[in-house]
Amino acid sequence: MNPTIRRLSLLGLALALPLTAAAADYQVGPGSTLGFSGKFQGQQFDGIFGKFDATISYDPANLSTSKFDVTVDLATAKTGDGDRDKALPTPDFFDTSKFPKAHYVTTGFSKDAKGDVVANGNLTLHGVTKPLALKVVFNPNPGGARLSVTGTLKRLDFGVGSGDYKDTSTIADEVLVNGTLNLLPK
Amino acid sequence: MSLRSDPTRWSTVVKTFHWTMALLILGNGAFAYWMDGLKPSLHKINMFALHKSIGLTVLALFFLRLLWRAIDRRPPDEPAPGWQRVAAHAVHGFLYLLIVAIPLSGWAFNSAHGYPLQYFKLFNLPALVEKNEAWSDTLANVHIYLFWFLLLVLVAHVGGALKHHVVDRDDTLRRMLPFGRAKRSTSTSPGETP
Repeated sequence: MNPTIRRLSLLGLALALPLTAAAADYQVGPGSTLGFSGKFQGQQFDGIFGKFDATISYDPANLSTSKFDVTVDLATAKTGDGDRDKALPTPDFFDTSKFPKAHYVTTGFSKDAKGDVVANGNLTLHGVTKPLALKVVFNPNPGGARLSVTGTLKRLDFGVGSGDYKDTSTIADEVLVNGTLNLLPK
Repeated sequence: MSLRSDPTRWSTVVKTFHWTMALLILGNGAFAYWMDGLKPSLHKINMFALHKSIGLTVLALFFLRLLWRAIDRRPPDEPAPGWQRVAAHAVHGFLYLLIVAIPLSGWAFNSAHGYPLQYFKLFNLPALVEKNEAWSDTLANVHIYLFWFLLLVLVAHVGGALKHHVVDRDDTLRRMLPFGRAKRSTSTSPGETP
């Protein structure tokens, strides 16, 4: 290959790459939910976050350029129980005056044994950053796409639940996180 | 140790039911009074859970006791005026009713408030009623007032037993006491009749 052709083909490649490899950018549409499920006294309870922001770039065919960046307003957690909702923002749990937001950002995507897509990323919650893997189900539709993610974390890894509230025989350590986002093209 | 009651004495089984339940009911009532004053904490939550588990135990014991009552013999009433015997049985009826109604009202209150119900951290029990904030407050009051009512009925129950013991000097109380021996013997052991 002579230098000119090589230079041209590199240029062509450079021009073509962004077109083929960039994942689509989406914004979060109405009806999207982000929530969690815990266990209290042996019974599951479900919570949702009233306010969160998500920047989603996703293309199932180009996982390497896909990215999730989600910020959650922890003070907006609602679990259907007044006492619990009052307790969650306090220093006993989220301590929202010190740590108002949780942040999740992906570092990459992989596929598990079943071929399902897994988002690998870091969650910063209550001042602690730990890896969190989320199973990804992505369904394109005429108006955009529907993205569902689920994962499990241990609340005590993040120091959520201090003092007595570390007792996992009353409040389970494992917390399921889930999101269902209606994605609209940006 | 006697498994079955005889005409002079309640059996060990009946005595165990009677005194265990008496202890659990009064103990759980006093416990509730104490735990209610605790500051909100996980400790308080766990104490409430303990109170509920004890209450459920009383409820379960009550049904076992009814079952036992159906198959066991009963010593006859000690002699007393007819109205007193009617009153004594009415008081027993009320106590039985309250022993069921108090745990059930607590369970209903728990359900109406939307709390889980876990038996000694072992397994969960279903809700009795749908979640309903307004009902929850009412049922909480019903639960508490029923207990005060039980104490009132208990005064009659204990008063009656003491009257028989001190005034009539009969075996009514003695035959239910844990290690009590009846003064009087009966047809089962005629040789000991004075």
